Amino acid sequence: MESSDEQLCRAVAGREPGAFELLVERYQERAYRIAWSVLRDREEARDCSQEAFLRLHESAGSFAGQAKFSTWFYRILVNCCLDQQRRRRRWRRLVGWRERHDAEHEEPDPVEQAPAPFTDPGESVDTERRLSRMWALVDELSPQQRAAVTLSCREGLATKDIAVVLNLSEATVRVHLHRALSTLRRRLGDET
Amino acid sequence: MSDVHVDELLIDHVRGELEGAELRRVDAHLAACAQCRATRERFAHLMAALARTAPPAPPIHWGAYRAQLRERLERRGARGSVIWAWLVRPVPALVAAALVAVLMLAGLPGGLRAPGAPDPLALDHPGLASHLDMIARLDVVQQLDLLEDWNVIGELDELPEHRGS
Repeated sequence: MESSDEQLCRAVAGREPGAFELLVERYQERAYRIAWSVLRDREEARDCSQEAFLRLHESAGSFAGQAKFSTWFYRILVNCCLDQQRRRRRWRRLVGWRERHDAEHEEPDPVEQAPAPFTDPGESVDTERRLSRMWALVDELSPQQRAAVTLSCREGLATKDIAVVLNLSEATVRVHLHRALSTLRRRLGDET
Repeated sequence: MSDVHVDELLIDHVRGELEGAELRRVDAHLAACAQCRATRERFAHLMAALARTAPPAPPIHWGAYRAQLRERLERRGARGSVIWAWLVRPVPALVAAALVAVLMLAGLPGGLRAPGAPDPLALDHPGLASHLDMIARLDVVQQLDLLEDWNVIGELDELPEHRGS
């Protein structure tokens, strides 16, 4: 029978051979995808998701089993991503880096900038264009709102799990989500 | 119907996360409030669209990803074990602690000096130490320098001639 994530985590804490590799294989795509959704940078997403696995390896013994393993691990991961964003913002302030300048002078990565895939033939072209802009607008939200929207709408986490991951109260997560969706709705118009 | 709108519970309502009294309260409010019903519908539409249109992360090579992770893990493990092994050895740890203590004592004012012994700085520079009070009257000292210059200029004729000039 296949081991649960929680059993594997305890095996990692006991330094059982192969347990860590198995957990990495189970979570690598989700970890990288979430990190990329928050950071929107391939290299940073790879580094942060790997850093989250390294921290998991170091602190597997502290997993108490009260929350689901996935929630506990996402918390480590999102903390890594938010730390990285803070470092990035500090660095940009330090060197006077401006996003506008960068956008004007650098060719954007075509893969990262590609519009979201959308194939529903029932929608009008206009609506399709608005929908493809949706995640670009998500990028403009505050880091915590963006993380909340990603975890909720993309990863399907419940509000109580997002609260654990972001170390916030459920009420605060509700406020973040409500404000984020209201902002998106306002910017996209009411026809979506 | 309650007059208080339930905006912040609408997302949980769409996702079916409410239960018990909270669910009943929101249901009752929605039944009577057209504004919250419309907002709920818009949120439901938007959340479905977000889930449907989430852009995929750029592809990466998972074999290379795991190899790099393994390398980072080994590097971190090796670094940690070297530091730990060094720290747990008693002799180097004691020597390091003693060295740090000596350096700290030497760095403190009056450190490693017998009680009543003179300040080594004052011994090295007795002249400087005796003139420190002049710094407090720097403006006067600068004017004295100027007066001395005037005096020298006034007595240029009386200065001894340089050899070779």
